[in-house]
Amino acid sequence: MTDPRPTLLVVEDEPEIRRFLRAAFGVEGYRVVESTAGRRGAIDAGTHQPDLAIIDLGLPDVDGIDVIRRIRKWSPMPIIVLSARLQEQSKIEALDAGADDYVTKPFGVNELLARVRAALRHTVRTGSGTLILRFGDAIVDLEKRTAHRGAEKVHLTPIEFRLLTSLAAHLGMVVVHRQLLTEVWGPTHASDTHYLRIYMKQLRDKLEIDPLRPRYLLTETGIGYRLVTEDH
Amino acid sequence: MHPRFDLVNIAMVYLLAVVIIALRYPGGPAVAASMLCVAAFDFLFVPPRGTFSVNDVQYLLTFAIMLAVALIISRLVRSVHRQAEAQASLAIEAETERIRSALLASISHDLRTPLAVMSGASSSLAESGERLSASDRQALAKSIFDQARDMSEHVAKILQMTRLETGAIKVDRDWAALNEIVGSVLARLSERLAEHRVILELPDDLPLVRVDATLIEQALANLLENCAKHTPRGTVVRVRAQQREREIIVTVEDYSGGLSDGELEHVFAKFHHGRVEGSGTDVGLGLAICRAIVRLHGGQAWGERVPAGGTALHFTLPLEDAPSVPLEPTSA
Repeated sequence: MTDPRPTLLVVEDEPEIRRFLRAAFGVEGYRVVESTAGRRGAIDAGTHQPDLAIIDLGLPDVDGIDVIRRIRKWSPMPIIVLSARLQEQSKIEALDAGADDYVTKPFGVNELLARVRAALRHTVRTGSGTLILRFGDAIVDLEKRTAHRGAEKVHLTPIEFRLLTSLAAHLGMVVVHRQLLTEVWGPTHASDTHYLRIYMKQLRDKLEIDPLRPRYLLTETGIGYRLVTEDH
Repeated sequence: MHPRFDLVNIAMVYLLAVVIIALRYPGGPAVAASMLCVAAFDFLFVPPRGTFSVNDVQYLLTFAIMLAVALIISRLVRSVHRQAEAQASLAIEAETERIRSALLASISHDLRTPLAVMSGASSSLAESGERLSASDRQALAKSIFDQARDMSEHVAKILQMTRLETGAIKVDRDWAALNEIVGSVLARLSERLAEHRVILELPDDLPLVRVDATLIEQALANLLENCAKHTPRGTVVRVRAQQREREIIVTVEDYSGGLSDGELEHVFAKFHHGRVEGSGTDVGLGLAICRAIVRLHGGQAWGERVPAGGTALHFTLPLEDAPSVPLEPTSA
């Protein structure tokens, strides 16, 4: 327990996947605790108190979503789920159940490492809050509510600021449509996805260098949006 | 009618009515119609008129024939129907069988190559890794990664096609912006399209579409993948979307020969494998999936030759009236 390295809990039944995750995270200086099944994973999360949990959605004993719910009953630790492509619905369910992000199988190690770093940074940052966003040639100060591109001032509407603030609160992580809509427009608009389409386009037009090939305001098709910034 | 036409001819008119009804509605209705015709004919034309009684016994024969005709034709029509149904279900069975064997062929053919590469490269790494230079090791690892990724994409496609064919896909429609879909497809395929110059022509005022964005993203990705595989490096790929009356037409166009005229006809047909040398072979599957997805959305997908040489693959998506979005007061 005196190990200073960040501890990751991996709940995954496939030994080969555990093996390569262990290797990849080991190289990056993480300590890895492995669970081969869901119930065990929920217990390990309690005994090992990891800094972050990576949970496969297709577990043999209980549903991965169930494991998330169990952990969420007592811990806010970041949770990243591993899920197959074309299972958008289960990804959304996992995120609704309290997962912070997801990685689609098959994934490259870099992608997973980036997600893990973003999620761990999020835990550290919560409370202090990064309120200045830099992306490309644009700088947005969420506190002062100003935006610039180079020296030029860019006008953002109050809704656009709120949308950016919601995304920035989960910098580097996915935020589902429903959450964004609820936070920006209120619970009565939780399924008005078309609002998001319109306002995300406006934001991209104002802040992205090439709005059609966004590098910072990313679309997670069928799920939500993700804000990544330069220093991410 | 009676004074000018012979009774026999009148009987023929009634018989014709019976025949027509029997053709259209075989069985009960035909028999009922023949009874009705017999009754009407008897009542209106057979002396003594105005009653159902019959003077001449030979009219009974007429009645019997009417009834017989109705029954015989009903039976004929029924058996023709039954045959047609049997044939249709046979055709469906044959189609399902064809898809199944195409899938199997696809699995065995398209997965064998990447598997061979992967096992070859990984065994080199495992057995003589220390004797290889670092760059060789990296190249081998990279080729394993690339092949594995391609293979898993291919397996996903096979799965997806099976689901589309069996109707197991639920279309989860919501408002989506095509520019976003295009953007995320390009991000997803960035590595594969790195050697191509992709030009986007998306009007700024393109209306939103109510689609399953995940599926449409896949449909578009398959078209772009087709381009990436079939056109030489450094060539141009154009992605265009236009509004045309009550639909949006999305086009992926290349200008480098691509498919021949003959192949173009089959380009979207199920599992047609493009015969361009050195290309991947899962193109047919990709395009078949694209077409199936677009059809689920009430659109169409087709291919055509570009006059300058090259191929244009199109699909359409029907437009619905988008709900309005409340505007913000634009005070600075």
